[in-house]
Amino acid sequence: MIALMPKAKGNAYFLSCKTGADRAARELNVELLFDGPVDTNAAKQNEIVENWITLGVDAIAVSAENKEGLSTALRKARKAGITVVAFDSDVQPDARSFFVNQATPEGIGQTLMDEAARLMDGEGEFAIITATLTAANQREWMKHIEARLAEKYPRLKLVAVRPSDDLKDKAQSEATALMSAYPNLKLLMAICSPGVPGAAEAVQQAGKAGRVKVIGLGLPNENRRYVKAGVTDSVILWNTGDLGYLTVYAAAAATRGELKAGAKTFRAGELGELRLAGDHILLGRPFIFNRGNIDRFDF
Amino acid sequence: MRPPNQNHWKSHLFRYEVLLLLVLVVEWLVFWHFGTTVNRRGVTVGFGTVDRQFDILRHSCEIGLLALALTPVILTAGIDLAVGSLLGLCAVIFGQLWHDAGLPVWAAAAGALAAGGLGGALNAGLIARLQLPPLIVTLGTYSLFRGLAEALTRGAVTYTDFPAGFLFLGQERWLGLPVQAWVFAGVAAGIWILVHRTMTGRALRVIGFSPEGARYAGLPVTRQVALAYVLAGFIAGLAALIYTARLGQARADAGTGYELFAITAVVLGGTSIFGGRGSVTGTLLGVAVIAVLKNGLATLPAVIRLNAAEELSGLLTGGLLLGVLALGAAPKFLSAWRSRGQSRRQPALPPP
Repeated sequence: MIALMPKAKGNAYFLSCKTGADRAARELNVELLFDGPVDTNAAKQNEIVENWITLGVDAIAVSAENKEGLSTALRKARKAGITVVAFDSDVQPDARSFFVNQATPEGIGQTLMDEAARLMDGEGEFAIITATLTAANQREWMKHIEARLAEKYPRLKLVAVRPSDDLKDKAQSEATALMSAYPNLKLLMAICSPGVPGAAEAVQQAGKAGRVKVIGLGLPNENRRYVKAGVTDSVILWNTGDLGYLTVYAAAAATRGELKAGAKTFRAGELGELRLAGDHILLGRPFIFNRGNIDRFDF
Repeated sequence: MRPPNQNHWKSHLFRYEVLLLLVLVVEWLVFWHFGTTVNRRGVTVGFGTVDRQFDILRHSCEIGLLALALTPVILTAGIDLAVGSLLGLCAVIFGQLWHDAGLPVWAAAAGALAAGGLGGALNAGLIARLQLPPLIVTLGTYSLFRGLAEALTRGAVTYTDFPAGFLFLGQERWLGLPVQAWVFAGVAAGIWILVHRTMTGRALRVIGFSPEGARYAGLPVTRQVALAYVLAGFIAGLAALIYTARLGQARADAGTGYELFAITAVVLGGTSIFGGRGSVTGTLLGVAVIAVLKNGLATLPAVIRLNAAEELSGLLTGGLLLGVLALGAAPKFLSAWRSRGQSRRQPALPPP
């Protein structure tokens, strides 16, 4: 019996993880529990884990809302002989055996840059909209985007990087300003989720859909309108169904002793052979949502 | 001086407590029967295990403490909506004193308790001294304390890595029981004595029945009411320490929503929200009935399959509160109905 806990039970993101988890549970013929808090009470995740311990589950997989507090309960579960893995949002390393890592900064940076280059046919000017210039994750992604650009795309030119303070309105006004400052701009790349619809709105209002392309990191639902209208070409994230699927496969294999600390690769059903980096199981390249597939996802 | 009809409502309350005890026993037996299984390895799992019973104690300790703190307050016909927020604020202050100010853990704990007392004193000053309505005052401090906790941590800092000696309070056992269960028992005994065996307890109830009457009778109303709120704040500080030790983290969102669970337990326990009548035994039963229900539901196979333990426990707690209140009111309703029937049988007076 494998118990899977999202940060919040009704969250569409986690419900789409669950569809993949259910599929994996059927393939492996294991019973899957799916439970989590319905509100933001920080103690709730702990209490659910402690209830699972006395329920005698074989494995627990969590996405942590309160990292430190949850780790306390998970250590107790490990002491009781239960396999613990984290997915989506990690806990403290000694509180779990593996973390199913949905996306590395390297994978995200490279996919964004490759997708931009593909849409721009390998040449021209583009600009980036970030959350803030100082945020750690943004800087990490920028580093990998710039490295990929320097290494593979000499005829692309990054003309500006503008912060949006993680606000859609600010992203929109920055995008408008960028389009007038750089008339030859071929593409806007937003690396924070409010930035993608913000940039798309600016392009749509300027009537430049198709001439200035928009891509970025974000959720399908908040970009669906612009993707369908042909303003936004690609929204990049990971395949949430695959994340749930891999998590259940990893929990089952670790419980059966087939996945041990120090392993270099791991075979997870239809996902095939996946890499490990330390105790992180890597889901692999991010997933690209576009006009052709976005309707298969609802989160 | 005695409140009116004291013996009448005392026997009424006693009947009500027996009813609650019955509900608790039935709950427990149902979960024990349907929620206990033996797994593949031959180990008994689910509701009927000692660990599970201890988890129920541990998970209900903080809400139980807040319910105990609220009992004297509600007896004075008051309310304290701020205890959950104050728990959060005390947890954050404890974390800051220990982590940022570098105080030894016992001193930080003393600071958190003092902060709880101060928070309670703010409520007490506004309610007892300035005679402002408790609902409004504590609605204000409810936001104020939580906001302060968030401001102190900018909503982002989580204090953690507390020394094992402190975590002992929330995660270990002492003399066979979870450590916090002993603290809880001590506080329960203290509040029971205060409410049922001291002049203060009697004064609190008289104030609840009639604050004006109490004033005319020469009772120190302001001081007694103030005491109830300061005590509530102090206990909220204690609950904050236990909460922090149990989770191993102090964050600004600690205890969110706990005030409503605690009020539910007090009212389910038979304490009148209009003040004057109620008992600590009733509050303890109210806490136990809710805690067992919440935990036990998550052991029933049908509930597990539906993943609906939390929703169902909310639903059933509400249903239980209304059901038990209605049952408790039934005898009064019946006697009123009967006496109305009798009066109708009397010959009508001729019109004047």
